[in-house]
Amino acid sequence: MGEGVNKEVVKAFKEYYQTLDVNELVVKDLQEREIALIPLGQETMIRHMTFPDTVALKEYLENHIPAHLYYSSAYYREPQASDMNKKGWKGADLIFDVDADHIPTPCKADHDTWTCLECMMKGTGFPPESCPKCGMKRIETTTWVCDRCLEVAKEEVFKLIDEYLIPDFGVSLKEVEVCFSGHRGYHLHVQTDDVKRLTSDGRREIADYVRGVGLDPKHQGFRMMKDGSITGPDLRDGGWRGRFAKSVYAYLSRCTMEELRSVVGSDEVANIIMRNKDRLLRGIMANPPSWMGLRGVELGRTIRIAKAAVKDLLCNIDERVTIDVKRLIRYPNSLHGKSGLKAARISYSDLETFDPLKDAVVFKSGSIKVYVKEAPRVRIGDYEVGPVKNVQLEVPGGLGIYLLCKGAAELRE
Amino acid sequence: MLTIEDLAKYPFLRKASSFVESYGLTFQDLASDEYDYVVQRAVERVRRGIEGRWAELNVVDPETEILAYPLALAFVYGLRSGWVVRRFANSEQKRCFELLKSEEKEKIAEVGKDGFDWDLEGTELMVSGALFDFSLPVENYLEVAPSFHSPDWKLVNRHVIGGRVYLKQVEVARLLSEALKLKILRKVEEEDIKKFQIPEKLLSKLEGLEKLMKETKKYDEDVMAEFVEEAKPPCIVALLKDLAAGKSLSHMARFAVTTFLINIGESVENVLKYFTSVADFDEGKARYQVEHIAGLIGSKTKYLPPKCDVLRSFGLCVGEDAYCKRVRHPLQYYKMKAREIKRKRDGRRSE
Ligand code: SF4
Ligand SMILES: [Zn+2]
Ligand SMILES: [Zn+2]
Repeated sequence: MGEGVNKEVVKAFKEYYQTLDVNELVVKDLQEREIALIPLGQETMIRHMTFPDTVALKEYLENHIPAHLYYSSAYYREPQASDMNKKGWKGADLIFDVDADHIPTPCKADHDTWTCLECMMKGTGFPPESCPKCGMKRIETTTWVCDRCLEVAKEEVFKLIDEYLIPDFGVSLKEVEVCFSGHRGYHLHVQTDDVKRLTSDGRREIADYVRGVGLDPKHQGFRMMKDGSITGPDLRDGGWRGRFAKSVYAYLSRCTMEELRSVVGSDEVANIIMRNKDRLLRGIMANPPSWMGLRGVELGRTIRIAKAAVKDLLCNIDERVTIDVKRLIRYPNSLHGKSGLKAARISYSDLETFDPLKDAVVFKSGSIKVYVKEAPRVRIGDYEVGPVKNVQLEVPGGLGIYLLCKGAAELRE
Repeated sequence: MLTIEDLAKYPFLRKASSFVESYGLTFQDLASDEYDYVVQRAVERVRRGIEGRWAELNVVDPETEILAYPLALAFVYGLRSGWVVRRFANSEQKRCFELLKSEEKEKIAEVGKDGFDWDLEGTELMVSGALFDFSLPVENYLEVAPSFHSPDWKLVNRHVIGGRVYLKQVEVARLLSEALKLKILRKVEEEDIKKFQIPEKLLSKLEGLEKLMKETKKYDEDVMAEFVEEAKPPCIVALLKDLAAGKSLSHMARFAVTTFLINIGESVENVLKYFTSVADFDEGKARYQVEHIAGLIGSKTKYLPPKCDVLRSFGLCVGEDAYCKRVRHPLQYYKMKAREIKRKRDGRRSE
C-alpha cells in the first residue's frame, strides 16, 4: 500500500481541503508561481499549473485531493510554460530548509533504522554514508520524528533568524515566513525585493555564510601583531567578528581542560590559557578589547580555538534548497502526504510555543481502528503509543491518520 | 555632482549615454569627416583593448572621449569576435579600476548609483583593526563577488551588518570595475547586439583593426600551439609526478590529467606515454579512454578538464600559487602563465 491510499486518508484529506479557509492559501504573488501536486494515491507529479487566485486554487484542490502540494520559490512571467527556459524567470524567494533528517541527533537511534539494499545489513540511528559491511551507498532509511528532533530543528530556525538574518542581513521579522515542513523540519522564506534577483552563486554565498563554509578567522579580526602577540575582534563589532569574540568568550568560560587540550593540540598551551583564563576573559570584554592573555599562543592555535568556539553557531541547513532558484517548495498550510500533518505557517512570536506534533494535527475528532505493522514510540497531540509491532489498535483520528500516512499501519477489518 | 570630465572618465554611465543622445548623432553623421576625430578615438580605444592596454584618458577633450565610447563598443560587438569582446572588457575593467582607486569618495558612490544601481554609502567604520570606507547592500555585492576566485571575497570572510557589506575603497574599485566588465561581456547575449551590423561607411575605418586582431589572436594561438612546460598548473604537475612514480590514479585524477593534456594540444600518443610507468597500465584500454576524451571516438565531444572548484573538492588541488589566485580553471592558469613566459622569452610585447 503506497502513501496511505485508503478511504480514511482520502476522507480526511478531502474534508481538510473542503473546509479550508481560502485565506490560509494566500501566498505572495500567486499568479506568478508554478503550482504542482501529487494527487493522493498516485506517483506522478502534475506540474506547470497556475491559478489566478486562492478561490480557484481551492476549488481545484477539492477535486484533485493532493498528497503533496507545491509552489515554486520562483516568480515567472509564464509559470504555466512546460519548458523551464520559456517560463521567464523574474526572481525567487530566498529559502532555507532546516530538516531534522540532516542533523545527527542522538534520539535517532531510538526511532530510525536503515537497510543496505546491497547486502541487507541493518542498523539503527543516523544512516552511514556508505554501508560499513559492503561499502555500497544504496542505503534505505525508515525515519520518524520525535520531540527532540523537532526541538533541535526549531533551535536551528531561531539561530538562523536571530543570529544571522536579522543582525547581519538586516531582514525584518515581517519579511520572513516560517513554515513547518509538515514532517521533520521547517522552511524559511525570505520574500523581499532585495533577495529576489540573487543568482544561484549569490545564494550559495549566503548559504556558506550561515553554515560557516570557507570561514577564515584571519579575515575576521584575528591577527598577529608586529611584536608577535595576537589580537582578535571586539564583542561589539557585529557580523562574524562579534560572533567570534562572543563565542570565544563563552567557550573559554565553559570548556574543560580536556577539550581545550584536544583543540589546541598541546598540553602546555592549554595550561597557559587555563592559567590566564580570568585575565583573558576580562581582556576580551574590555573596551577596547585586549587579547594579551593569549600571549605565547601561536596564531594557528588561536584560530583553532576560534573555530571550535563557533561550531554550535553554524546553521544546519540543506544548502541545495537555498542555492536552487527554481525550487518547488511545499505549499504553506497544505497537508504532507507522508504524515498527514499540516505544513503550518507560523508567526515568529508563536514559534517558541509551537508544538508540531499537536498544533499541526488537523484531524482531531473520532477514532480509527488500525493495524500497526511497526512503529517506535509515537506521540500525536496528547496521545502516545509504542513501540508496537503487529497489533490492532483503536487510536484517536489524528494519530491514526499519521500512522497510515507513514505507511506504518493499515486498515484491516 | 558628476562633471563632464567625470563622464569622460566613466563613459559607461547612464548620464554619459544621455549626453551622447543629446547630440542625436546617427552612424551616417559619424561617418562624415566632421566627426572623424570621434571615430579615430573610438578606433584607438578598441585597438588598445586588443593590444591588452588601456587608452590613456584624454581630459583635454572630454566630449570626444564620451562620444567615442559607445562607438568603440559598437565596433567591438560589430567585429563579431568573442575574443575581441573579452580583450576589450578586460582593458576597460583595468582602466576603470585604476581611475576609481584614487577617485573621491562621493564620486565613487555616484558612479555606483548611475552605472549599476548600487547603493554605495561612504563611511568611516573602524572595527578591530580594520578601517572601512564604504558599505554596499549584500545583494549588490553578490552580483559580482562570486566571480572572484580568492577566499577573501567570500561573503563569509567579509564584515556584514544590517544587510550591508563593509569595504575598503580599493575593493569597491575592484567590484565596480568588474561589474563594468561583466556588463560589457553580457551584452553580447542581447538580441539587437547579435543583429547589429557596422554600417558600410564606417567599415573602412576598421581595416587596421581587423589586421591587428588577426595578428594578436594568432600570437595568442601560437602560445597555445607550443607546449610551455613550465606553465602547467600545480595540480597537473603533481598528478604527472605521481604517474612518473608509477602510482595509479583515481578516476577523476586520470580524467583531469588527460583532458588537460589533450586540451593544450598534446597528441594521444604523447598522453599515453605519461601513463606507461603505471603498474596496471593496459595500453589498449588506456588508448580507448584517451581517444574517447579527445573526442576521436564515441560521442565525439572533446572533454574539458574540471574547474578548480571541482578539483578542489576531489582533493586534487595542491597549491594556490600567484596564478591560481587569479584563475578558476587549470586551462586558464596554463594560458595565462604560458603567455607571460613566452612574452618574456621572446622579449617582445604585443604593442
Ligand atoms: S587552483 Fe586550480 S590550477 Fe591551481 S592547483 Fe588548484 S586546481 Fe590547479
Ligand atoms: Zn551493505
Ligand atoms: Zn528524534
